[in-house]
Amino acid sequence: MNENPSGERKMQCSDESKCFELLESILDGELQDSGKEVLKEKLAKCQPCFEHYHLEQAIRDVLKTKCTKHAVPNELADKIRQQIQDIK
Amino acid sequence: MSEVQRRKYSQEEKNAIFDGEFMPHIDSMYNFGYRLTFDEDDAKDLVQDTYLKAYRFINSFEQGTNAKAWLFRILKNSFINEYRKKSKQPTKVDYQEVETYYNSDDVHYQSTSDLRAESVKDMLGDEISNALNSLAVDFRTVIILCDLEGFTYEEMAKILDIPIGTVRSRLHRARNLLKEKLQGYAQNMGYNTDEEE
Ligand SMILES: [Zn+2]
Repeated sequence: MNENPSGERKMQCSDESKCFELLESILDGELQDSGKEVLKEKLAKCQPCFEHYHLEQAIRDVLKTKCTKHAVPNELADKIRQQIQDIK
Repeated sequence: MSEVQRRKYSQEEKNAIFDGEFMPHIDSMYNFGYRLTFDEDDAKDLVQDTYLKAYRFINSFEQGTNAKAWLFRILKNSFINEYRKKSKQPTKVDYQEVETYYNSDDVHYQSTSDLRAESVKDMLGDEISNALNSLAVDFRTVIILCDLEGFTYEEMAKILDIPIGTVRSRLHRARNLLKEKLQGYAQNMGYNTDEEE
């Protein structure tokens, strides 16, 4: 992802609002193939888009991988099955 | 998700759907319940209640459609309609207030923080969890559904009974609020937030 150092990117985004909305939709998996080309282009040419994309990606990654999960109490599934048996 | 009953399942089919399509989501359901209520017993009650309702209304579940989204919608509705009503301490901000306060789907997307991707990557699971838990329930909910559970905007719209545009804008605001929290942690921890490395 990082092969293009910021040297060639413009420092001002021409339409941050539109661009960021698009980047966020792409990160959420809402634009499949059509998004990929646009994304490549933006990340290569625009520094604010590049930074926003990586920050948003990092946030999604840590949420997905690091957010503490709670173990389901052992007896819960059994209790549910028992209750279902009772109403059958 | 339509309430129309297509046909009646036989007892055998009911069992197969319940065990094969509903029960495998108990982990996600429990975590959703826990993140809504922050209480193990309340989370258990919500999950049990959801499964009982799911069984009772199993004829309105269309086999082969997204069981997880169907179950999440039931749990969310139980949380709003029953849990919140009987809970003695109402949540500070509720759905209605949030909707009136942010009554427009028209969000201006812009960079709102100096938070850097590198400092986010260094954060601990507890910091991320605490930041998420500190958000108002509507904002917390969209992040849980999207990032932790991987639902699409369309699925989230159905689970929450709101238009896709509202899903998108609420999610955007939720992540901005989360970034503010994380930035606070980053500053406290002395992470680099405003300079190139
Ligand atoms: Zn840009």
